Order: sequence, then C-alpha cells, then structure tokens
Amino acid sequence: MSVVEIHGARRPSLPLARMTGATLVVLVVLFALAGPLLVPGDPFAQSLMKALAGPEAAAPLGYDHLGRSVFHRLAHALRLSPLIALAAVATAGAAGLLLGTLAAAQGGWADRILTMLADALLALPGLLLVLIVLAILPGTALGFWAGLSLVLWVEFFRLTRAATRETLASPAVQASRLLGFGPAYLFRTHVWPEIAPMMLTAAAFGTATAIMAIAALGFVHVGMRAPTPELGLMMVELLPYWREAPLALLSPVLATFALLLGLTLLAGSRET
Amino acid sequence: MTLLKAEDISVRDGGTVILEPLSLQLDPGEPLVILGETGSGKSLMAQALMGTLPPELDAKGRIAIGTQVLNAGAPARFRGLWGREIGVLPQEPWLSLDPLMRARDQVAETHALVRGLPRGKARARAGADLAALGLGGSETRYPHELSGGMAQRVAIAAARAGGARIVIADEPTKGLDAARRDDVAALLLTEMGETGGLLVITHDLALARRLGGRAIVLRAGAVVECGATDQVFAAPKAPYTKEFFAADPERWAPRRHAARGGPAVVSAKGLALSRGGRTLFEDVSLEIFQGGVFGVTGPSGCGKSSLGDALLGLIDPARGTVSRRSGNHPNDFQKLYQDPVAAFPRKRTLGQTIADTARLCGARPGEIETLRDRLGLAPGLLARRPGAVSGGELQRLSLLRVLLRNPSFIFADEPTSRLDPITQARVIALLTETTERDGTALLLVSHDAALIRNTADTVLALAAPRPPCRPDAALARRRVASTLH
Amino acid sequence: MSALASRLVQAIMVALLIGAATFAMMRSLPGDAAWRIAAGRYGYDNVDAAAADAVRAELGLGGPALPALLQWLGDLARLDFGTSLVTGRPVAAEIAHQLGASASLALVAVLLSLLIGPPLGILAGLRPGGPLDRGLLVASTGLKAVPQFLMALVLIVALAVQLRWLPAAGHGTARHFILPGLTLALGLAAVNARIARDAMARIAAMPFWRFAQWKGLSERQTLIRHGLRNVSVPLITYLGLQFVTLVEGVIIVESIFGWPGIGHALVHAIFSRDVPMVQGTALVLGLGFVVVNAAIDLAVRHLDPRVAA
Repeated sequence: MSVVEIHGARRPSLPLARMTGATLVVLVVLFALAGPLLVPGDPFAQSLMKALAGPEAAAPLGYDHLGRSVFHRLAHALRLSPLIALAAVATAGAAGLLLGTLAAAQGGWADRILTMLADALLALPGLLLVLIVLAILPGTALGFWAGLSLVLWVEFFRLTRAATRETLASPAVQASRLLGFGPAYLFRTHVWPEIAPMMLTAAAFGTATAIMAIAALGFVHVGMRAPTPELGLMMVELLPYWREAPLALLSPVLATFALLLGLTLLAGSRET
Repeated sequence: MTLLKAEDISVRDGGTVILEPLSLQLDPGEPLVILGETGSGKSLMAQALMGTLPPELDAKGRIAIGTQVLNAGAPARFRGLWGREIGVLPQEPWLSLDPLMRARDQVAETHALVRGLPRGKARARAGADLAALGLGGSETRYPHELSGGMAQRVAIAAARAGGARIVIADEPTKGLDAARRDDVAALLLTEMGETGGLLVITHDLALARRLGGRAIVLRAGAVVECGATDQVFAAPKAPYTKEFFAADPERWAPRRHAARGGPAVVSAKGLALSRGGRTLFEDVSLEIFQGGVFGVTGPSGCGKSSLGDALLGLIDPARGTVSRRSGNHPNDFQKLYQDPVAAFPRKRTLGQTIADTARLCGARPGEIETLRDRLGLAPGLLARRPGAVSGGELQRLSLLRVLLRNPSFIFADEPTSRLDPITQARVIALLTETTERDGTALLLVSHDAALIRNTADTVLALAAPRPPCRPDAALARRRVASTLH
Repeated sequence: MSALASRLVQAIMVALLIGAATFAMMRSLPGDAAWRIAAGRYGYDNVDAAAADAVRAELGLGGPALPALLQWLGDLARLDFGTSLVTGRPVAAEIAHQLGASASLALVAVLLSLLIGPPLGILAGLRPGGPLDRGLLVASTGLKAVPQFLMALVLIVALAVQLRWLPAAGHGTARHFILPGLTLALGLAAVNARIARDAMARIAAMPFWRFAQWKGLSERQTLIRHGLRNVSVPLITYLGLQFVTLVEGVIIVESIFGWPGIGHALVHAIFSRDVPMVQGTALVLGLGFVVVNAAIDLAVRHLDPRVAA
C-alpha cells in the first residue's frame, strides 16, 4: 500500500507536466505551420550578400552561412522530421498493437517467434538499423520512415504483449469468460483500457526518439542531404559560425530541445 | 513494576478524532490484547505507541516506558526506544526480512549495531538465538527459503536482539494458516516469559483466547469493552462484542443439512492435480448435488482452489475424470473470487459491467433490482468502480453478477478470506441462502476449517502436499461424503 | 540455465538479422558498385573490367538471390567476415584495432554516469517528494530530452569554443576523454538517477526497511546494510538495457569528436557502402549487447538469491 502512496504523492505534478509538454509541442507545431504564412519566404533562396546577417523583417531569425533565411529553414525542418516521425510511430504502433495482441492471445509458436524477433531487435542499436535501411532503400525520407518503423514497433509490441497477457490471465477475464463473453468484449472492456494509456506514452516517446534519430544522423552527415532543411543538418552547418551568428545556431538548438522536452513531458513519467 | 504506561492516547486526522483517548498499561508476564476489526483504530494505537504514525496524523497523550516519559505528539523521540526498549514483531514477517540477507546476519546485525557486540560474538549470539527458537541449521538460509513460521521466528529474534523487553506484535497471524496460530501464541508467550511485556494487536479471536491476559475491544476508534481476556470471552457485556464474537466461525451454529436430491451436478473420479511438476493431491472422488454445500478446506498450497478450477474445466487434471451435468446453457458453472476487486474490469463502473452481463444473459427487466434488494445492496453502489466499494459489498455484487447467469453450480474460492468476521458471516449466510433457495450447487473453499465445518453439508479436508493428500478424518467429522476414499 | 540459453538464441537471431540486412544492403548497391569497390581496393588507375568482374563474382552481386544469401550467411557462420571494401584489410583486424578505443570511452562514460546518477537518485528516493527529489526530476527530465549530439554541441560550444578549456576533437590523452565521456555520461546518468530513485523509494516503503529501523538500526546503518544492495539489483539490470543507448551514443559521439573507434568506423563504412565492415561492426555491437546482458544476468543471480531459485 505504501508504495502506491509514494507514487500517489508524485501524481499531482503529473497533469501539470503533461500540460506543459502539450503546450510546448503545440507552440513548436504552430510555429512550423503558421510561421511561413505570417512571414512569407523561401527556405532555399540563397543570397550570399546576406550570409550570417542578423535578423530583419523578412528573416526574423537572421541568415545562415549561405544567406538563407534561418526562420524559413527552421519552419521547414520542423515540418519534415515530425511528419516522418509521426508516420513511423503510426505504422509501428499499429503493427506493435496487432502483433502484441496476437502473440498474447495465441501463445505458442506465433508468440515465440515474434518474441525472439523482438528480442533480437532490442539488442541492436536503433540508429544502426536506421542507417542500414537508409543504405538499402532509395529516398532518405522513405528510408527513415521504414527504418524507424522497424525500430519502434518493438516497444509497442512488448508493451501490448505484456499488458494483454497479464490482463488475459486475470481473474476479471476468467470471470467474463465463464459468464460467456466473447473475444471482442474481452478486448474492448478488459484489454484496451489497460493498453490505451501506455500507447499514448509510448507514442510520445517514440516520436521523440524518431525526431532525435533523424537529427542525430543529419548532424553526422549520414541522414538528410543538403540543401534539405533538417534540424541536425542545420546545426552542424551553423556550428562553425557560432561566434559570428550565435542566433542562427541557437534557433534550431532551442526549437529541437523544446520539441523533445515537450514530447518527453507529454509522455509522462515512466521508468525509461 | 509496570513496563509501559500510556495515558489518554488519542489520534486526530485534521479535525476528526479517529482514536478516542485510551489508556493502557503493560505489566511483566501479562499479555495485553487489542481486539478489533479493520478500521477500529487498533493499528493506530500501536503506531502511536511506537511513534510511527504518518506525519499527517496528530497524536496526544503521555507514554511512560521504564524511566522515560514521552509525549505521543513528538514521535521523533521514540526512535531511540526501538530495538532497545520496544521490539516490534511486524505483520507479514516474510516481507519484513531483507530478501538478500541470510537469516543469521539479520539477527547478528542487531547484536552488533544496536548492542555493540563485536562481529564474531554477535554472529555467535545470533546463532544461539536461532537455535533456541528451533532454527538450528537454518542460519544461512535466505528468507525465501524459510516458511512463514520460520520467518516469524527469525523476525522475533532480530526484533529482540537489541535487548527490548516489550514486544509489540501487529496482526501476527495475518497470512498464516489456522494450524499455525497456536504456534504463534506459544512463541509470543515464551518470548515474553515472566519479566517481559507483550502487546498484541489482532482481529483473530482464537489467538486472543490462547494468549489470555487482558483484552481491550475497539470499535471505530473507541473502547467498547475491556477486562481480563477470559472474562471478556466468557461473558461479553457490550452488544458489539457479542456480535463480534458470534461472527467467529468457531461459534457459528452448524447449518441444517439440505436434503440431497437428483443426480450430481458435478462429480470427479480418481482426480489428481499437479502444478509445476509437483503433485497437489491424488485420488480424490466427489459428487456435488443440487442445493448442497460442498466444503473444501486445507492449508495453503494443498490445491483446494485448483480443485475448484478443475471442476470448472479451467485447468486439466493430471489424472482422473470430471463430469459436469449438462445444464440449461453452456455458462451455468460460475465462480466467485477471493479478491473480488480483481474479478471486475478495473476501469468500468460496476453498473456497466452488470448491465453488460444482464444483456448477455437475456435477463428480465427489473431482475438486477430484484437481486440487488435481495442481497441488501444500496442502488448507489452501481455507479462506482470496483476499487471504490468495500470488500463485503463487492463480493455480494459478484454474487449478483453470477446469479444473473442463473447458474447450476457456483465455486466460491475463499470468498470471505479478506473480509472482517461480521461481514464474513453475512456473506456466507447469503451464499448458503442462495444455494438453498435457487437449488444451486455450491463448492465452498476456505482455509478456515471451522467455517467449512459449520457451513458445508459435505467436507473434504486436503492435507499439505507430500505426503499425498488424503481426506483428514479428524476435520471431516461431520458426515463425510461416502464417495471419498 | 534457461536464461543463458535464451541469450544464446538471442545472439543467433541477432547474427541472422544483421546477416540478412547487410546482404540486402549489398544487393541494393547501385549498378557500378563492383567497379567502385574495385577502385577503392586497388586504386582508380589499376581498375579494369576483369577486376570489377572478380569483385562482382566474389560478392555475389549478380546471380539469383537465395543461393547468394545462403553463401553470405554461411561465411558468417564460419566467422569469415571478409575484407574491407575500402582498405582491403580483413574486417576482423580492422575491428580489433578500433574496439579498444570504443570500449575505453564507453567504460569511462559508464563509470562517470554511475558516480553522478545513483548517489543522487538514492538520496532523492530516501525523501520522495522532497526538494532534492523534485529538483532531480526536473533535471533528469530535461537531460533526457537532450539527444547526445545536442549535448555534444552544447559542451563543445561552452567548454571548447567559448572557454577553450578542453580540446573539441582528437584522441590520445586523458583530456580528450572528458568531452565525449561527459556527453555520454550525462545522458546515462539522467536515466540511472531515475532508476536508483524509484528503486530506493520502493525499497524504503517495504516492510523490511521499516523493520530494520525497528530493530534499532539508524537510518544510515539501514541504508548501508539493506538499501545499497537492494538498489543495486534493478540498477545493474537496467545498466544492461542502457547498453543500447550507450552504443547509439558512441556511434554519434565518436563521429562528432573524431574518436577512432568502432562507431566512427561504422558511420564511415555506411557512407562508403563498405558492406563487410558494416556487417562486422554491427555484429560486434549487437553481440556485445547479448554478452554484456548475459554477464549481467549472472551478476544479478549472484546478488539476488531469489533469481537463482
């Protein structure tokens, strides 16, 4: 009982944290979607005359080393990787949910093979898998989507499988079965209410992981290719000019941090 | 000389008094028993004496121990008494031992750190303490390798190694089989001896009677009755005490036997069950009849719950056959659970779950309300979730749910083991009434032999596995089924 | 025993997965891959059609897929990792050369993280809801939202560029360990601290913790005798799972700081489509996880007698 109380004592801060997280995410998304509408501009247009110049009306965050508007590149970058991340999380979530429920409900060989596969994937660093898939598939965005889906489904699968197994073995499900309820009812009233909150948490974490991966690989020049505006790529391009144009570097750094922090807070506390 | 004297101890939670002023004293060689149900305030009293009340609660009163006088409202000062003056025998001794430390080390550290003995001497003393309690040879075992009773003896040795003369035991029989109660009482009395003090907090009437000494009966934070334990038991004065004692299964009036009618609803022949490669019992044959109560009892781990599951077809027997009479519909075999909270969908209101069941079973309109009134359940309960309803009410709601199925057989698996005695008596009475009225066959499983003896028409007593389970003649003295071997 | 057996199965599955993935990578190399590989191996001046054909035949770049896959996995099973397409040296030798640099960096990072995270976590867990606990929650949540590359960037800008205290890149002296080591350690510590905190809070709420104090032990004695060992079990278990995070960090951090380790080599190999090197490094990283976790299984078994039972 006292363990529950300890966690209970921490609960009140959680909705606040989640609200803060949601606010941060909404702000970043709003900037990405509405920013270019308020201040029209082209993320690719170069003007070497303005290289590393400070902010002005047409480029509220100044210019990068090639004289491109950091504001518009950032807005573009903040649409690109979150979109890929969401697509990957949706795919991975659907696959993980389906396979996890299947493994838990069926048991036997289907369960054993899926678990073995998931365990093997768990041993591999996600970035490594993404890199290999990127090398196989044509098109970087497609590669990221496929690679990240491959990495992320494991978490959804493991959570779903564990929760479904536990729920299906519970007296509550046994009682419902004895009363004659069918599988659809069992899933709807017993399994889904247990999984749903976990799915939200895992989806927020998964989105953060995916955005981090895209940016990290961009940062070490093996992700998105120039001149695509991408968060990691922008940072590594602007790093040498830190002294001349600190704002140009700080903008993608702070935006990335705000987005990732928002997603982490939105995910809520969990032991990972 | 009095060992401990507490005067006008009271506990408040904000503005509400949750323990009315209470005075007590502990004398050498005379146990003091605080008796009461859950919520009676008996644990609060113990916590106030030890200085372990949660910080949000306020205690008042004076406590004199030896030469010291302490204020119950300043719990920090009690800390120095722990182990040195007061030894606490905790609930669930198994969980109170460090799972990663050997038995002797857990006793030796008290000798070394509290009494200040050198290491080697502390270990030797700890070994001697354990040997004196009959634990010679188990010194190097880890807690998970000890039985519940052994863990309790290790705990009492560890609790007293610091030199404490007073022992406070909080529900020392919780989670223990009935057969172990007498051992616990004997252990506590021996440890107290002629010169020690013993305060026991319990709801276990058998334990209280065995301990003797003096008793205080608490209810809702107030003293109902106090006096010499023998006197209180022989002639309870307060109406609540009478009701409380009458709820003890030992004192129940044996139920009138139902007339056996018709073919068996369920029967088993030469049944053997095993779990994890270990045989639980072998060669059990039985028949359960319409309108009859078939009771199964035995120590934990003997397979009594598994027997019920096998009769329901939830687990497969290792050997033997189970035959169920084909009933009105495929789902007319139902089960009631030990922990009713776990038997309902957690995040749905009880009303929704019950309405789902009624729809599934094609219940007549108004049937839920009829059953609800019959089982004495308030209508408002249905709007709540399973976690927000008391255990007794929830078990009755479980009964309501299975009755919607119009069952021909109900397996009640320890349905009252988590309920207070008075609630237990009510739930069992409702169960037997239902059996007789609806002509259901009831399989009642309980660790409480007295409960089974006074409730069932037929008793099967299972022994702990290995030696293989045989029906125990002494326990099954009431008209044991002729079909038992 | 069954725990070790399942680790063995995991190792085999890891090897199969990597073998299949790198085979697919090989097959998807663009059409002139053989020519490029031959050029990488022998120098552009020495490449002719015959050399390219030899490479094509050797790597099974043409022909049906299934026999080629089986041959590929067969080579893997014989622990024949082939030669680097770029340097022409055996992959095993290349990796043996780089492994030490990565392992020493990883070790420094883990030790550093253990010095920072668990002590803070344990102190916070002893007073759940207290100021330290709340501060640590904020700090670790913030740190968890900082990816390693961002941490590296911040540390480089602050400590190397602005303050000029430390070298931003390079390898060789102890000073070179500080920035990459700290980058990795801070991320690990953010998680370590939470694990230790939750474990400590859980243990401090357990009956045996209270009972130890009832026996007369002081809070410090209780922590030393009953807290640390019990906290270490989940902490060590979690350390094994963190290995993946560590490896991902090593890949990124080595690339950023120009650390001559296996992660750096992997990124290079991917970039230049040096498939045998990709396979070799990926195998070392994947199997490293399995080996480390098998060792941790054994350690936990030793610490916690209940697991062995």
